[in-house]
Amino acid sequence: MGAAEFVFPNDHHVAWSIMIVLYPYITGLVAGAFIVSALYHVFEREVLQPVAKLALVTALCFCAFATLPLLLHLHHPERAFNIMFTPNATSAMAGFGFIYSFYMLLLLMEVWLVFRPELVDRGNSLPGLPGAFYRCLTLGVTKVTRGSAMIDSWLIRALAILGIPAACVLHGYVGFLFGAVKANPWWSTALMPVIFLASAVASGIAALLVLYLWFCWRRKITADADCVRELSRYLWIALIVAVSLEGLELLHMAYESGPEWHVLQTLLTTKLSVSYGLFQVLIGSVCPFVLLCIATRPQVPVALMKKLSVISGLLVLIQVFSMRWNVVIGGQLFSKSFRGFVEYQLPWEGREGLFAAGCVLVLPLLALELLSRILPLWNETERLDQAGE
Amino acid sequence: MTHELNIITNNPESETCQGNCCCSNPQEKECGSHESNSRREFLQTASTVILGSMSLTLLPMPVTNSTAGNADDAGDQEPGTATSEEKTSNNDGQVWFGFLVDIEKCIGAGKCLTACRIENNVPAGYARTWVERYVHLKDGSVRVDKVPEQGYAGSNLPDVDAELVERAYFVPKLCNHCSDAPCNQVCPVHASITSPEGVELVDPERCIGCAYCVQACPYGVRFINPETNNADKCTWCYHRIMRKEQPACVESCPVGARVFGRLDDPNSELNLRLAEVPTHVLKDQLGTNPKLRYVGLSGEVK
Amino acid sequence: MNPQGDFSRDTRHLQILLVLIVLVGVVALFIRSKMIPLSYGQLGAYRAEALNEIAAHPSKLQSDATCLQCHEDVQEERADSPHVAVHCMHCHGIGENHVAQARSAAKSQELVVSPAEEWDGDFATMIDLFITEDRATCLACHQKVVGMPDTFRKINVKEHLEEQEADDVGSANVCFECHSGHSPGL
Repeated sequence: MGAAEFVFPNDHHVAWSIMIVLYPYITGLVAGAFIVSALYHVFEREVLQPVAKLALVTALCFCAFATLPLLLHLHHPERAFNIMFTPNATSAMAGFGFIYSFYMLLLLMEVWLVFRPELVDRGNSLPGLPGAFYRCLTLGVTKVTRGSAMIDSWLIRALAILGIPAACVLHGYVGFLFGAVKANPWWSTALMPVIFLASAVASGIAALLVLYLWFCWRRKITADADCVRELSRYLWIALIVAVSLEGLELLHMAYESGPEWHVLQTLLTTKLSVSYGLFQVLIGSVCPFVLLCIATRPQVPVALMKKLSVISGLLVLIQVFSMRWNVVIGGQLFSKSFRGFVEYQLPWEGREGLFAAGCVLVLPLLALELLSRILPLWNETERLDQAGE
Repeated sequence: MTHELNIITNNPESETCQGNCCCSNPQEKECGSHESNSRREFLQTASTVILGSMSLTLLPMPVTNSTAGNADDAGDQEPGTATSEEKTSNNDGQVWFGFLVDIEKCIGAGKCLTACRIENNVPAGYARTWVERYVHLKDGSVRVDKVPEQGYAGSNLPDVDAELVERAYFVPKLCNHCSDAPCNQVCPVHASITSPEGVELVDPERCIGCAYCVQACPYGVRFINPETNNADKCTWCYHRIMRKEQPACVESCPVGARVFGRLDDPNSELNLRLAEVPTHVLKDQLGTNPKLRYVGLSGEVK
Repeated sequence: MNPQGDFSRDTRHLQILLVLIVLVGVVALFIRSKMIPLSYGQLGAYRAEALNEIAAHPSKLQSDATCLQCHEDVQEERADSPHVAVHCMHCHGIGENHVAQARSAAKSQELVVSPAEEWDGDFATMIDLFITEDRATCLACHQKVVGMPDTFRKINVKEHLEEQEADDVGSANVCFECHSGHSPGL
C-alpha cells in the first residue's frame, strides 16, 4: 500500500466491537440449537430424542442473553426501546425488537409446554418453597389431563414448525443487516443471510454435541451413540454447506476482481491471515471436516467416534466464531478510502472488553446449568454406567 | 403418574397414539416409526421448510424513504442542466439546499477545519470535515495525505519534493447530504433524518448510538461522538443556515472553494456556479445521489 | 361427557397464558403511546422538534459584516484587494468575546473595550482576538505547498525574500516591510 496509504479520519475508530461479533454468534447458536430440536419435534428424527429437551433449553438460555451484547454496545442503552417505539421499517436493525420478542415468546411457550407435565408433577409432589415455585410455573393448573396433553403436543409441534422460519429470520436478518450495506464491499452480498444461517446451524449442532457429551460425562451416563453419530452427520453436512457458501462468496469476489478487490485481497493476506487462514479455514474447517469424515463412518468404534465428535464440535464452534470475527471486525479494518488499514484494539476492561465478552459467553452456560437442575432434561430410563464412555 | 412425552408417530395404525402419549401401559399399542418412509418424508418436509424459511429471509424490505426525484444522470452533470434534471425542491416553494466544492480553487489552508471544529465542538480525533491532498508523482504513483488542522503552509511540516510531482490538488470532504441517504435508510429509530430543506441531521434525543449509520455511510463522514454518545456528522451548520448565515467552513474559506446555497433558487450563486462547468459526485456508482457536487473531481478520489 | 367443558378444562393453562400475553401486550402498547414524542410525525417519520433544537444552537463564528459594523475603515482598505475574501478571523481570531464586549459597550454607551491580546504564536490555540504582523499569519496561506493551484499567489519564502531584497530577512514581521495586511497588493 505504501505511498497511497490513507485512512479517512473517522475510520480510525472501529465502531462495531467484539459485542457485535458475539451477537450473531449467540443468535446463531439459538437458531442452530432450535433446528436440532425441530429435527426431533417436526421431522421426527427419533434418534435425536436424547438431546431434544437439551436443545430446546439451550436455545432458550442463549436467547435469554442475546440482548446483552447489544446493550453493552449501544452508546445510549437507556434508549434501547426506541427501536420498538419508533421503528424504521427500512432498517434491518429495527426488526430486532419484534423478531426477538416474538421468538423469545415462542421459545418460552415451547419450553413451558414441553416441561409442563414435569412442572405439574413437581408442583404437586414437592413440599414447601420448591413446590410453590413449580406450582407458580404451571400458572396454577395442577393437572395434566389427557386432552390437554394432546393439545399440548399438537401445539408443541405447531410451535416447532413455526419456530423454524422464525429462527431463520432471527438469524437471517442479521446476515441481511450486513449484506445490505453497499458501502462495505466485504459485507455487501446477497449470500450473506444464507451464509450466516448455514454457519449458525453448524454452530448450534456443534454446541449441542459438546454440551450433550459434557453433561453425559459429568452425570456419568453413557451418551447415546446413535444420537451422537446422527448429530455428527448433521454437523458434517452443515459444515460443508457453510464452508462451501463462504468459499463461493470469496471465489466470486476474487474472480470478478472488482474495484475494491485489491483492498480485500490485502486484508485477507495481511490483517486476517491468522484469523481467516489459520482459525477459520485450517483449524475450523479442514480439521473438523476430516475428523467428522472419520467419525461418521459406521465402522468406527463408539469411543473414538465420541471423542472425534466432541473435538470436531469444539473446532466448529471456533470456526463459526472466527467467521463472525472476520466478517464484523474484518469489514472495519480497512478504511472506506480503500487506501489504508486500521487496528482494532480489544481492551480487557470496559463495556466492550474481553472480560465483558467472556461474561456474555459464560452467562448462558450458567443459566443452562441452573435450568438443568430445575428441569429434567434427561430421560428417566437412561442407564447409568461406571466408566461413562 | 409421570409420562414420557413422545411425539406423534407416523404409524397410521396406532389409533390410541393419535396425540402422542405412549404410556408404559401394555394395553396401549406400541408407538413405532417406519424407517423407510420417514427418510423421504424427512427430505420432503425439510426442503419445503428450508426453502420456505429462506424465502422469508429474502423478503424485500422497503428500499428507501427518500423524497428525491430521478437519479439516473445525477452522476455526471453537464453545465446548464443543474436546475432542470436534478432534484431542486422537496415540494412547492420549499427551500432546498446544496453545496459545491471547487477542487481547482482549494489551497489547503485548513481554515475551514478550524472553523468547523470551533463552531460545532467537534471532539479531537474525529472530523466533520477534512481536506485530502492527492499528489500524482512522475513515476505514476499517487500519494494521499490529509491537510493538518493548521494547514500545511506555515506549519513547518515536511512536504513532498516538488521536483517529483506531476500534479497535485486538495479535496475537501464533508457530509454529502445524499438525497438517497443510506444512513437514513438503516437508522433503526428514525434518528437519522432529512429536514424539509434537504439537510441530513441526527436527532440527538433519539439516537441510540448503534453506529449502523456509521457503517452504512460510504464516505466515512459519520462517527459516534464520545461526549454526547450520539452519531455525529457535518450538518451544513444547520443552526447557521436557518438564520441565513453561511456554514462555518464556507464562511471561513479565503478562496471561495466551498459554496453553499439554495438549489431551488435559479439565481443563487450555487446554481450559477453549477451551470458553468461539469460537476461530479463521489462514489456515484452507489446511487446515493449526493447534494454535494465537486468541480474538478478526478477518478482517484474515493 | 361434556365436550365443551372438557375442552375448556383441557385448555385452561393456555387460556391463562393467553390472558397473560394479552396483558403484557396491552401494557406494552400503553407504554409505547406514552413514549412516542409529541412532535413525532408532524413533518415526517421523525421528531420535528429536533429541527428546532438543532437550529437553536448559537453561532460562534462571526461574519466579516459583524466586525465591519465598527471597523468600517477596514472595508475601504480591502475594497479592491483579493483579501476582501479573507475572513477577519484568519488573521485576528474569532473575537467572540471581543464582539460581545463591544456590543454591550455600544448599548451602555461606555467605551470600555478590553485590549486585544498579542498572538502567542501557536496556531492551535485560536484565542479570542489578536493583532499580529507575524509572517506565519501570511505564510499560512501563501507559502508554496504542493497541491496549490497555479492561479493562487504563493511564494517560496527564501527565494521571494532574496528576489525582493528584503532588509531584515530573519525578522518575524518581514512581510510588512512591503505589504499591508488588508490590501497587500503592490
